[in-house]
Amino acid sequence: MQLLNKTIASYFSFSAVLLLAAIPIFYFALKTALIDTADEELLATKTRIMPQLRNAVVNHDQGNLYLYGYDIVFEKEQPTKNRDSMYSDELGGLYSNKQSPSRLLASHFTINQEFYSLRIKTSLADKLALIKRIILILSLLLVALLLGLLVINRILTKKIWQPFYTTLKRLQDYRVDKQPVLKSEPASVKEFNDLNRAIELLTERNYQVYTSQKEFTENASHEMQSPLAVFQSKLELLMQTKPLNEDQAALISDLANASKRMSRLNKSLILLTKIENNQFLKKESLSVKDILQKLLQQYEFQIGQQSIHIAFDDAMDITLNANKSLVEILLGNLLSNAIRHNVSNGNIQIYLKEKELVIQNSGKPSSLDTQKLFQRFQKNSPDADSIGLGLEIAKKICSLNHYSLEYRFIGLLHTFSVRF
Amino acid sequence: MKILIIEDEEELSKSIVAYLKAETYSCEVANNYKTAIEKTESFDYDCILLDISLPDGNGLQVLKELKANNKTDGVIIISARDSMQDRITGLNLGADDYLPKPFHLPELSARIAAVIRRRKFDGSSILTLNELSINTDAKAVTVLNKPVDLTRTEYDLLLYLATNKNSVVSKNAIAERISGDEAEVFDNFDFIYAHIKNLKKKLAASGCADYIKAIYRMGYKFEI
Repeated sequence: MQLLNKTIASYFSFSAVLLLAAIPIFYFALKTALIDTADEELLATKTRIMPQLRNAVVNHDQGNLYLYGYDIVFEKEQPTKNRDSMYSDELGGLYSNKQSPSRLLASHFTINQEFYSLRIKTSLADKLALIKRIILILSLLLVALLLGLLVINRILTKKIWQPFYTTLKRLQDYRVDKQPVLKSEPASVKEFNDLNRAIELLTERNYQVYTSQKEFTENASHEMQSPLAVFQSKLELLMQTKPLNEDQAALISDLANASKRMSRLNKSLILLTKIENNQFLKKESLSVKDILQKLLQQYEFQIGQQSIHIAFDDAMDITLNANKSLVEILLGNLLSNAIRHNVSNGNIQIYLKEKELVIQNSGKPSSLDTQKLFQRFQKNSPDADSIGLGLEIAKKICSLNHYSLEYRFIGLLHTFSVRF
Repeated sequence: MKILIIEDEEELSKSIVAYLKAETYSCEVANNYKTAIEKTESFDYDCILLDISLPDGNGLQVLKELKANNKTDGVIIISARDSMQDRITGLNLGADDYLPKPFHLPELSARIAAVIRRRKFDGSSILTLNELSINTDAKAVTVLNKPVDLTRTEYDLLLYLATNKNSVVSKNAIAERISGDEAEVFDNFDFIYAHIKNLKKKLAASGCADYIKAIYRMGYKFEI
């Protein structure tokens, strides 16, 4: 649930409960007040007409008694001990044909030792209609108020939270290798300013750590070159010494291989930092097909030695605008991996599709660990040749050029696809 | 042939001197910018090996001075920073070659020989070793004045071993020579063996003595 909705939801449920409770309470309160007024009116009417009634009875002149239509009933009755009472006739029609809710006053009294009853009725219909209208208007008002508040609240909070969402978006887009520090415009809310400042500091520190780490790799690799050069040259001088027996020759040869691996590792690390530092700027138009054909020619010996069958579907070609060395390294790494991790009499299938290159190879009959595949020094084979940087370099080159590199294991074939 | 080695890493320059002396070059060493300028001003060299990062200056400045003084010494830059920019700058300033560290000594020797050939004999030079002669201009090999038909790789291999004659050239150095950067991809030396075998067969067939010796586990040597 979004933050904005969360606060609004609480407001809304409170307001709804309040509204639902308030309307009936209001209705009953109004109704009670109206009935009270009606009762007072009835009593007033009674007080007003009582002298007239008394006169009429005393003068036996009931025929001329004007009794305000049908709303007043005055008649003789049997002796009763009933006292005056007020009651409601919700449906009406108790003493008349008119169907409408009314309020009645029943009064009993004696004139000249004779018992009389007086019933006065007042219609509540108009008053109830009024209540209904009032309630309706009130409800509409309350609903309008509630909606208005919701809308205002939403707009306001949205506006208030705007800097937060801006910061969030920028944080999502933040890459430590692309941006030294995440700067934000000052916001009107203190907390957001604090947040932005904290993020600014955090990214700045991150960037410092990142650069110093990068510089370390860079410097370490470069500094390593000189001792490596010394080591290698001394080994080559050692090879020239005489006499050398076979044991010594074997030892020197092993050392030479180790030194070669070291220098290869070092070169790869330097290459990685160079890619990260974006030092391959020159771009040119390249044909993927041409580069692959050139590479296949270069690897001919190794392919032939393992009797690997190559199926190259080159009906289509992909033209890239990129750095030549990098694309050659990328394709070279993928292809040499397909050869190196293959089996004797295995096969490699290369497909060129529109904007996609797929390289499939036979090899170990199980999927590689896709989680670790593209990470530094994650070797998937005990092979001493592999130094565990090839795929990371490939991935780096892809992300630099905004290509996507994926691995899948399809039908016993290790499948790498590059989407350009 | 006089070589000047401008290199601040003492152990490396010692190695280079030792290897090149065996190849009958005479070597001098300058381990800082000041000495380098003094030496290049006072003497002429057939080839100068130039390290870019010196403790008291930039090696490229030495190169600029050389060119400003119209010196014709060949220059090979040997640098720990294998950057395209350095390479381009160096070559634009008039360096003949660029060799990133770490390098193989036989490779260095072959590059020096190539630079000297280019400088001294305007690119045409015939390397004669008894009955074998290699024309580096035409990239052609003759034995007893009869041409030997070699593939490009076999020719490169023969020239490489011959310019490093009487020194052991390691398999790693040969692999790198033949296949360039690709040698970094596969640690497989069988292809060297295949090429050497063919080369030896062709040379023997044309009446050349067996100069190329396999040195147990380490590499090959052109022995004469």
